[in-house]
Amino acid sequence: MSWRDFKRKVQRQFSEYLEIPGDVMLDLPKIILVGNIQLFIENHRGIIEYTPEGVRVSVGEGEVAVTGQDLMLRNILPDELCVEGRIRSLKFL
Amino acid sequence: MFMFKLISYLLGYVVILVTGEAPEKFVNMAAGRGIFLWDVFRSGDRAITMKVRLNAVKPLRHIARRTRCRFRICQRRGVPFHAVWLRRRKALALGAVIFLTALYFLSTFVWFVEVRGNEQLDTFEVLEAAEEAGLYRGVFKRSIEAGRVEAKIQEKLPLVSWTGVYIQGTRVIIEVAERTVPGEEERRTSHIVAAKEGMVKEVLVFDGYPVVKEGDTVEQGQVLISGEIPPYAEEPAPGGKRTDDESEGDRQPRYVHAKGIVRARVWYEGYGEAGTVETGRRPTGRSASWVSMDFEGKEIILSGSPDIPFENYKVETFVKKIPDWRNLNMPVEIITVKYIEMDDYRLERSREDAIKLAGERAREAAAKLLPENIEVREQWLEDVTSGNAGDPVRIRAVMETIEDIGRDKFFTP
Repeated sequence: MSWRDFKRKVQRQFSEYLEIPGDVMLDLPKIILVGNIQLFIENHRGIIEYTPEGVRVSVGEGEVAVTGQDLMLRNILPDELCVEGRIRSLKFL
Repeated sequence: MFMFKLISYLLGYVVILVTGEAPEKFVNMAAGRGIFLWDVFRSGDRAITMKVRLNAVKPLRHIARRTRCRFRICQRRGVPFHAVWLRRRKALALGAVIFLTALYFLSTFVWFVEVRGNEQLDTFEVLEAAEEAGLYRGVFKRSIEAGRVEAKIQEKLPLVSWTGVYIQGTRVIIEVAERTVPGEEERRTSHIVAAKEGMVKEVLVFDGYPVVKEGDTVEQGQVLISGEIPPYAEEPAPGGKRTDDESEGDRQPRYVHAKGIVRARVWYEGYGEAGTVETGRRPTGRSASWVSMDFEGKEIILSGSPDIPFENYKVETFVKKIPDWRNLNMPVEIITVKYIEMDDYRLERSREDAIKLAGERAREAAAKLLPENIEVREQWLEDVTSGNAGDPVRIRAVMETIEDIGRDKFFTP
């Protein structure tokens, strides 16, 4: 077990013990999906690719891929993102 | 989100088209530096359109250089751009300012004064009282002292027990509540006479001398309760001797305004007849019409044809003309002629049906005579058919009601 994994484990246990939400403590993305028309991603790290058929967003570790039709980035803030359109799938890569 | 859009609108924003190898990089870097981007959508293979606030355009130049993208401003929106546009049209801006000032200025006056709640009082009287206290059409709104107006109205009009003055925009509402004042008593001497003939059922006297009693049959105009009260016929006091000096003056009749209720049974009669055989003419429901225009004696047919398609018919003619105005007299008339087809008919009905129909007609005739809102106590039908065969069935209907038949009739003693 490397030092990084150990640190992560301690952090997770600590956050579970104190009931602090993961997105605050562990720097995880908080994703809100409203039906299939709207998707909010908080705590993102930037857009990797954007086309009307798919959006890939970098998050803390790895990335989130959204596919669909007529996708549009409704709102981009330094740590928040809103995707609108007809969303078909959401994947963690 | 709405607030965000509103602030963007106030600060001004532009729609930019970013082209380059990787427009996503441009978006990331801009977002990373705290620049708000919204409504981002791909408009081409290597092009993205987005909206950005006006104050972020300068830093975007730097970002574009760093990410090797180019951007072009497509549309400019928001208040700063409108201001520029408006600066070129000074008269319009001035007009708008003048309009708003005028609207504000005019709204500081009273335009309408409304009076509510007055039933006996004339609206004009209330308005006059209000005017004395400084509330009238065209007065400056701030100069109205509601308390003073209310006090003045109450002082001027004793019939008012309460007033309220409300200002609603340019309309002022004066609400008044009136006292109920007992009405003046009628002092003229009068009898109560019968308005219709009937049989008296009950007599209730408040003031006056009853002339009729229950069970009497009265005619129209007959006095029921007299306004003349005869002197009281005094019984000699038991055991005592009648004193002679009881003045004869007391023996004069007293005259009053007779008051009371006389309820009587009143009968209404109606008559109806129906033959066992009925012939006549009635419309079949078919009709034909034609429209023509009459212009200085010449007739121009507009629609239909003047041929009559029926054998038996009735003609109805309507003439439409433009009303005369001053000396102008339009010489044009539109004439509509309508032919209604008629048909002879012959109806035979049994004696029972005829009796039924005649009864119905008689009852209708009697009901027509009834006063409004009265209850029919009893009704019956009488067969008054003459003995001759072939005569129609004749029925008389009688309806009985009980109503107040009294009516005032003034007299001078």
